[in-house]
Amino acid sequence: MRRLLPTLLLACAIGASASAPTVMPLAAADVPALLQPPAHGERIVMLWALDCAYCEASMQALATLQRAHPAEIELVTVATDSIALRTRIAARLAAAGLPGYPARAYAEATPEQLNFLIDPEWGGETPRTLVIRADGTRIAVSGALTGAQLQQIAPP
Amino acid sequence: MSRQSTALRRSLSLLWSLLCLLPPVAGAQGMEHMHSAGAAHEPALGASAAFDARGRLWLVSVRDGHVRAQYSDDLGKTLSEPVTVNPLAEAIYDEGENRPKVAIGPHGQIYVTWSHPLAKPYTGYVRFARSLDGGKRFSTPVTVHHDLAPITHRFDALAVSGNGDVVVAWIDGRDEVAAKAAGTPYLGKATWYTWSHDEGATFAPERKLMDRSCECCRIALARAPDGGVAALFRGVYGDNLRDHAIAVLHTDGRPADPARATFNDWQIAACPHQGPGLAIGADRVRHGVWFEASQGPAVWYGQLDPGHTPRHTLKLGGAGASHADVAAQGKTVWVTWNQVGAGGYTLMLRVSHDGGVRFDPARAIATSKDAVGSPQLLLHDGAAYVAWNTAGGFRLVPAGSP
Repeated sequence: MRRLLPTLLLACAIGASASAPTVMPLAAADVPALLQPPAHGERIVMLWALDCAYCEASMQALATLQRAHPAEIELVTVATDSIALRTRIAARLAAAGLPGYPARAYAEATPEQLNFLIDPEWGGETPRTLVIRADGTRIAVSGALTGAQLQQIAPP
Repeated sequence: MSRQSTALRRSLSLLWSLLCLLPPVAGAQGMEHMHSAGAAHEPALGASAAFDARGRLWLVSVRDGHVRAQYSDDLGKTLSEPVTVNPLAEAIYDEGENRPKVAIGPHGQIYVTWSHPLAKPYTGYVRFARSLDGGKRFSTPVTVHHDLAPITHRFDALAVSGNGDVVVAWIDGRDEVAAKAAGTPYLGKATWYTWSHDEGATFAPERKLMDRSCECCRIALARAPDGGVAALFRGVYGDNLRDHAIAVLHTDGRPADPARATFNDWQIAACPHQGPGLAIGADRVRHGVWFEASQGPAVWYGQLDPGHTPRHTLKLGGAGASHADVAAQGKTVWVTWNQVGAGGYTLMLRVSHDGGVRFDPARAIATSKDAVGSPQLLLHDGAAYVAWNTAGGFRLVPAGSP
């Protein structure tokens, strides 16, 4: 059963992909592409953690914003937890009602270094919302998003 | 297709469906817990060290659900075979700001605490075990708080007072739970503590230190010259201003007296995962180090004056600086912190010889390509050392003498 369990769980994960996202690794080499300005509109990188009580509300607010501007906003969630916890990360995202968005998790042995590469002006506090616009401008917000901050993040 | 194979297919399909209906991948959660008991926000590098009176360095770390105690008689160059503190494996928070703690009693007692996560997120129990035979054997672990609701009791901090009391503080969720049940808003959680007058055989009913403190930052404890233990911890003031509070953890029934000690007005509804450091000099000067990001990330040193703005504040680091600690002896004050950059981690040090008014320039005293835990300043025989746990191994880095 010990050997069978991972296979069954994988089968579950694949079978349940409609409700739980597939979490992909984010390594240092992937950071430039993540931060590359999109061709149009904006990319919102939502940095969160399993041990963050403030993150879920922000994720849901950003998902609502994305659904209101589907053509302009590309939403990506990045868990600062290890990709080894992908099952728990996927379950939390599904429970928060964010199944459909690209999801990443840290795949570096030195996560603070990854924090620094993503945003040197970030002390690792979560949630952290990074907005990268097609014109190259960026907005970074730490903490649960307020209504005013969501308006600022929304495409013009 | 034969009837038999159709039946088999139906059975397998049913089995698969049932398995997938199980509570959110309980099996996988269990497996992940064995790899990393906590939330794995960061690698499991949680370890603590303390010198005993003879100069033996004690180190506690975590492996596979066990806290392990080791000692070194050659300043960290070699470590003894580990002694298991908790023979029965349990999940242990051991990443980021979480680490097992070790403190030495006046007669060589070895006290150990850790936080044990429960099934639900953000929950836990604060656990304690002791050795009265010089680290050969440890007592059966106990939970130090009487409240056993499956809520937050974690981010334990441990100290021994001048009269030998064992003092344990932690972040506690009961007040938030009660407030929300009553429909009252409550920001953050609370900080609670308990103590033992009998070498950890029993613990007093826990007491609240302060309502509305940060949920996810370590608490710093330090012994004052009068022998009392003081705590510096991140509070939640007003509308989510995450400044720090300082308080004495009275063990004689006097009421708690928390006072605001930092005034950066960092307003944030988030988990900073960065707690402060505290050392109290023989002259009663309260040396604090802390992180905030009101104007971008900053690690500060300052002399804390309860209720007032700290004196002699100095910005130690900005982008990439984190997890500072402080020690003081006579007029010498040491501050250390982690500095991360694109190339890896650097352990930074600044030293003051005039009680913290002015500091020598910052210098790098160690580097690591591997992930590192929070540095911990230790004093022994007039010299300072930094205990630095890295993924490449534990290091005790000399930080100089006065």
